[in-house]
Order: sequence, then structure tokens, then C-alpha cells
Amino acid sequence: MEQQQRSDEDQQLVARTQQGDAGAFDQLVVKYTPRLYGLVYNMTSNHEDTNDLLQDIFAKAYKAIRGFRGKSSFYTWIHSIAVNMTLNFLKKRGRRFQLSLDDVDSSIQSDKEFLEATASSSPVREADLSELQKRLNEAMMKLSDEHRAVVTMFHIQGMPHAEISKILRVSEGTVRSRLFYANRQLQNYLDEFRKNPVT
Amino acid sequence: MDEFNDNEITKLLRLKRYEQPPPGYFENFLHDFHRRQRDELLREPLWRICIDRARDFAFSFNLSTLTSYPAAVAAVLVCAAVLSLRIYQTPQPATVVAKDRPVLVAPASTEPEWTLASPVATRVLNTRSLRNMTKSAQTHRSGTPRYVLDSVPVSYETTFKF
Repeated sequence: MEQQQRSDEDQQLVARTQQGDAGAFDQLVVKYTPRLYGLVYNMTSNHEDTNDLLQDIFAKAYKAIRGFRGKSSFYTWIHSIAVNMTLNFLKKRGRRFQLSLDDVDSSIQSDKEFLEATASSSPVREADLSELQKRLNEAMMKLSDEHRAVVTMFHIQGMPHAEISKILRVSEGTVRSRLFYANRQLQNYLDEFRKNPVT
Repeated sequence: MDEFNDNEITKLLRLKRYEQPPPGYFENFLHDFHRRQRDELLREPLWRICIDRARDFAFSFNLSTLTSYPAAVAAVLVCAAVLSLRIYQTPQPATVVAKDRPVLVAPASTEPEWTLASPVATRVLNTRSLRNMTKSAQTHRSGTPRYVLDSVPVSYETTFKF
């Protein structure tokens, strides 16, 4: 129901943009910036790259929106543009980059999952927050770009498999298989964290 | 617990949602977006701006409504093609019977030439049997047709093109 409402609202804004109302596109930018920021940031692990990419993504979307015929939702369409542009960027960037991580919001301290993770007999308990963040991002960056995209959308952004398969234009089976493989790899990388805890 | 299991990995990754850009970033993003768009517009070459404007102008007519009537568009095109063929239809290549062939004046081109004169007599027959210009005055408008096209007289006059 909520998804349908979101889609209808987007459709109206898209129609107004197609009729030349730039203000309607501004509303779409404001609405989707936080979500797309999270997607791109977790794929690049670099704030500056994310900012540049986000600008390019919205610029491209604005140029292409006249050709948007509504075969998919705007949500899927804009996420497809974002993922494809980010994957292209990552191919060009290669391995030469530095992590430029955002600060962790202080509200994490009251997050139930964070409390569980730090309270349990887990290696996380011994690490401080910034170290944990660094390790997680390093582990993420060891994944291939395609696997990282799936992990970001599923684990971090909480998208369902079906939505991810539409965005990536692959089957749901492929999404599940990439997730399984990525989880195994993350498990191995983070296991080193357990063996070599931060002092 | 010795190893990270799937559930733990999921929980840890969910915590990445708390990584947030500097305060005010999202509020200023739209402003930065507009500024960058303007800067890019200034850097773009004029021809690209013209092409973009022309494309936008074309889109403003909503071309899809035109293409939604493909049969009508096709019918109009076919009619136009048939009419143009009929208008510019030419006679069959002439079987020329030349009598008393005079000295020839050879045209430069070997291809038939076309003019915008009347539809029937527009073709300058490329038969290398054009008259000697000095004698043309004597033979011009003689009583019998000088050229016979498949036994059907087409014209009693040749069209000269200088």
C-alpha cells in the first residue's frame, strides 16, 4: 500500500517534470538523495566519489526523464541508473582509492542490533566503533563490484530480492547466488578480525 | 562464538546505515546540484546546447502521438509515392528511327537528362542523332514526325537544352 502510494506520487512528479516543471524534479532529487547516497556510498566507500557520482546520476536522470515511459517504477529506474553508473565508475577507478568514510551517527548507540552485537561474546565487543567500521568497509571492498552491489541493496538497504533483480536486470536466482557467495566471503574476511582482534 | 555466522554479518552490515555524511549535506545537495548544472551549461559548446534545445523542442510535440497512427502515416506515404511516380513517369526508352541522319552533335553526357519542363517532353533523347544545328531550321516542323517511339508519336518537337 505504502509502496503503491510512493509510486503514484513519483508518477505525478515524473509527469510534471516531463511537462517542463523543473520544481517537480527537484522534489524527486530531495526525496531520493538520502537513499541513493547510501547505495553509492556503500559501493564506493568514499564520500567525495559518492557526491560526484550522485550529481552525475541526477543530471543523467534529468536528461533521460523525457524518455521514461513508466514501464518500471521511477524507484527502480533511478536505482538502475545509480547502480550502473557506480559500477562503471568502479571499473574505471580500479583498485587505486582510499577509504573516505562518513562518521557513524551517534544514534547507533541505541540501536538494538548494535547493542546485541557488542554485548554478545563476539569479537565486535572488543573493537571500538571506528575500527569496526573500518574492518567492515575493508571486507566489503574485497568483494567484487557486482557482489558488493547486491550486498548493499539487500543487507544495508533492505531491498527484497525481486526489486534487486529488476534493478540489476538479472534473475532472482542470480541475486540469491551472489548473496550466498558474498556472505561466505565476508564471513572469511571478518573471521580474520576474530583471529586478530584489535588491541 | 568462534565465527561470524550469516545472522551476525547481516546485523553488522545493517549498522552501516548509521554512516552518514556531514550534517547539512542533504539540505545543501539540491543547491549544489543546481550550481553544478549551471556551471556545466556554461562549459558546454554552443553546438551541443543547440542540439539539446532542438531535441527538447522535438519532444515537446509528443512524437508518440504521430507514431500511434502508423497505418495512416503509411497510407499517406504510399499515396505520395504513387502520385509522384505518376507525375514523373517517363515514356519507355525510345526506339528511334532516324531518317537522313545529318552530321551529329554529340552531347557530353551519356545519361538521359531531365528538366523541369512539361512532364512528357522533358527528356533530351540521348541518341547521338541530334540534328546538325545548321540544318535544323530547314527540317524543323516538317510534316512527318522525325522520331517514332514504339510507333507512337510522342512529340513533334525535340527539346533542346543548352
